[in-house]
Amino acid sequence: MQPRIIGCGNPDRGDDAAGVLVARRLRTLGIEAEEQSGESFSLMDAWQGCETVIVVDALCSDHAPGEVKTWDACANPLPKTALQCSTHAFGLYEAVELARTLDRLPDKLLIYGIEGKEFAPGTRPSIEVERAVELVAQQIAEFVQANDVERQGVS
Amino acid sequence: MTTAKTRTIKVDYLARVEGEGALYIKLKGDQVRDVKLKIFEPPRLFEAFLRGRHFSEVADITARICGICPIAYQMSAIHAVERALGVKIDPAVRKLRRLFYCGEWIESHALHVFMLHAPDFLGYPDAIQMARDHRAVVEQGLRLKKAGNHIVKVMGGREIHPVSAAVGGFYKTPTKSELRELGEELKWALDASVATAKLVAGFDFPDFEQDYVFVSLSHPDEYPFNEGRIVSSRGRDIDVSQYEEYFIEKHVQHSNALHSLLRDGGSYMVGPLARFNLNFDKLPEVAKQVARDCGLKVPCRNPFRSIIVRAVELVFACHEALQLIAEYEPPASPRVEALPRVATGQAATEAPRGLLYHRYGLDENGLIVSAKIVPPTSQNQKRIEDDLWHFVGQVATRPEDEITWKCEQAIRNYDPCISCATHFLKLHVERE
Repeated sequence: MQPRIIGCGNPDRGDDAAGVLVARRLRTLGIEAEEQSGESFSLMDAWQGCETVIVVDALCSDHAPGEVKTWDACANPLPKTALQCSTHAFGLYEAVELARTLDRLPDKLLIYGIEGKEFAPGTRPSIEVERAVELVAQQIAEFVQANDVERQGVS
Repeated sequence: MTTAKTRTIKVDYLARVEGEGALYIKLKGDQVRDVKLKIFEPPRLFEAFLRGRHFSEVADITARICGICPIAYQMSAIHAVERALGVKIDPAVRKLRRLFYCGEWIESHALHVFMLHAPDFLGYPDAIQMARDHRAVVEQGLRLKKAGNHIVKVMGGREIHPVSAAVGGFYKTPTKSELRELGEELKWALDASVATAKLVAGFDFPDFEQDYVFVSLSHPDEYPFNEGRIVSSRGRDIDVSQYEEYFIEKHVQHSNALHSLLRDGGSYMVGPLARFNLNFDKLPEVAKQVARDCGLKVPCRNPFRSIIVRAVELVFACHEALQLIAEYEPPASPRVEALPRVATGQAATEAPRGLLYHRYGLDENGLIVSAKIVPPTSQNQKRIEDDLWHFVGQVATRPEDEITWKCEQAIRNYDPCISCATHFLKLHVERE
């Protein structure tokens, strides 16, 4: 089964669009990927019962714009400060940590974070983030293909 | 003689509120010298870009104002247009709109009671920490919220930014069996809401009361959702079309959201506490009894007790939804046609956070020529500052981090939605 891929963000708030843009790019490559605002409870519902889930979201920390971070969310707690770009009271960080407490995490949950620099309403994503979007989309596509080959090999 | 020291307390980013805002408090000794609720989330200009759009688009555009209470925006907008165009809706559609609103109240109140407000009273920084010790409570909150979401999904086509509401009715109405499927979970939700009210009634509440002017809708036969006259605890009783004669909006430098005031001066409160105090007699007996069992008396003037009132409203909404589902007969047609004409229409409905007023001016082609939207958080903004002016004095001798936490709690009493009001919170306390 293909991993469930979720791109989070607001396409109208500059670099906050990073996750959504990755989902859109993956679809052009023929890989199923959905878009979400990043609201916790929808995310928890979306990954309920899934084996492998990949979530992509924008980061807002002190790293260089376009820098990509990855986390195995099932293995370790997420860093709170970097993953709180959302103006929603409950975002990706809360979704993962609440799900961990309530035993509602999928078997495997990979998080890709893309560092942004400009989050103002109505702005375009920065060039650094656009480049990172392509890089992350390619990495996820390779992951999906590798899993596919592995699975077919097994069957 | 000693000179009192001036202190400033700043919360640069308020937690567990919707949107972006900050709080600034200036103290001289233990005396409050200034309080500013700063809303810095940028204006979203919905009123401006509604102009030139056709009235049929109003529900889908205004639904985008808020991810938590889109139905409130849809309902106020649709009712205002329908009043402008003289549209008379099918009684069955009216009942479906009440059911739609039940879904939004259940999901919004469950989110606030369990995830945003309960951690304040149980002494946790957030719902995640709370869930480690109170797993069953958090599970119950999530399930209640989901029960509300299901109503919204069945009625609106999807849980967030629903798409079925239209001027004149709905684009699609549910079948009896679709609604009946909601029944079992709502029966559980009703029992869970009663248990929730009893749980939160056991919390410790600060001894804090204010002489509020409460404002809400009032309907002769129903606890208010979609229609009614605007009434206040000072005896005001007006048609919705008179709203702007009695309530004004004022720009203040420190906020991107306009402050609403009574035209004859002063702040007022909208929301669950106002609705409960002005409409207690319209609650079904089950909700009245729960309120009595929880020690609530009318008028309740302690804003911290609003968490109990929200739970009582959860009881009401679940009970009302069950009743509406049991009585449901699909309308002959999902919607009636609305013909354009030059007109102006106003409407107010009761969003989970309080009265939500819309006004639209339409031209002969049905295009919107003017729009005015006054969200509940905008109306409560001045009242929140007034609460803090009085509340901070009670906690001014406490350590700074405790003052900050208590002030945030006082703000969360209002479940402010900054994203709607412009739209929340960083605290800055300055001591001289």
